Amino acid sequence: MATKVAIIAANGGMFDAYKVFNIATAAAASDAEVGIFFTFEGLNLIHKQAHHQLPMPAGAEHFAEGFQKANVPSIPELVSMAQELGVKIIACQMTMDVMNLKEEDFIDGIEVGGAATFIDFAKDANISLSF
Amino acid sequence: MDIKVDRVVDAQGLACPMPIVRTKKAMNELNTGQVLELQATDKGSVADIQAWANSTGHQFLGTKQEGHVYRHYVRKSEPDEVKEEMTFPHTVHNDELERLLNGNTEIRVVDVREPAEYAFGHVKNALNIPLGELEQRLGELIPGSELYIICRTGNRSNLAANLLEEKGFKNIKNVVPGMSQWNGDVERD
Repeated sequence: MATKVAIIAANGGMFDAYKVFNIATAAAASDAEVGIFFTFEGLNLIHKQAHHQLPMPAGAEHFAEGFQKANVPSIPELVSMAQELGVKIIACQMTMDVMNLKEEDFIDGIEVGGAATFIDFAKDANISLSF
Repeated sequence: MDIKVDRVVDAQGLACPMPIVRTKKAMNELNTGQVLELQATDKGSVADIQAWANSTGHQFLGTKQEGHVYRHYVRKSEPDEVKEEMTFPHTVHNDELERLLNGNTEIRVVDVREPAEYAFGHVKNALNIPLGELEQRLGELIPGSELYIICRTGNRSNLAANLLEEKGFKNIKNVVPGMSQWNGDVERD
């Protein structure tokens, strides 16, 4: 059976986004089944507007040049690559309600679900990660 | 030196995980047994391509470095690749071929693997004719001479040996198990 990777994305910065989507796309490209549960600030990473302009951590702004020099793909590019590779994206319903966000505020092709949805996906995962 | 491959993926200048993602996409479009060359400048790709091959079950052949460019070679295999039955009756074991090669007798070894597999290690003086090209290249072989056919695990050489016999060749031997377990000397291109 294929390797299964379950990821929780709970933070909304640029570095967090790279950690989540690099691991997710690498895993999916290695034939793993991958699901990411986006909750609290993590919802930024799939928010239609917000994921185009994620903040760098305070004091780390100078790394922007490094990202450019290393020719690292942009977050929107990584997100669509992840979706193309079949990564399942689950947005947390409860956080959406708290933050007054609707499904149409997010990128296309996501699922919305609660904690139980993620647990059901993660129950037989070989690798579980939280960022 | 250029090694003949079925597909080249240019990921030069791209950072992790792009070389792997590009490889994965290209691999989907290849047939089992075909060889892909990944060109990358990402130093991490040296370890990553091997790890990727390991987790996907594809066959990592080797890496060549030219300046700051890495060329990685991978052959597509299916995880559930069926091991075909060895139907060719005349086989010799690796050890026997190794003994013959160390002796004085002039013998002809035909390696029917892909050029990239051959490039990363083959029996000395072996002639490389990939299985897919064998039928068009029969002219390079002498019909009456003793021919030792070798591949990685004995499958392709089994098919090649049967084909050669059908075409009227005599004195054909299939070498088993093949290069995957070869302990003798190897030459590299």
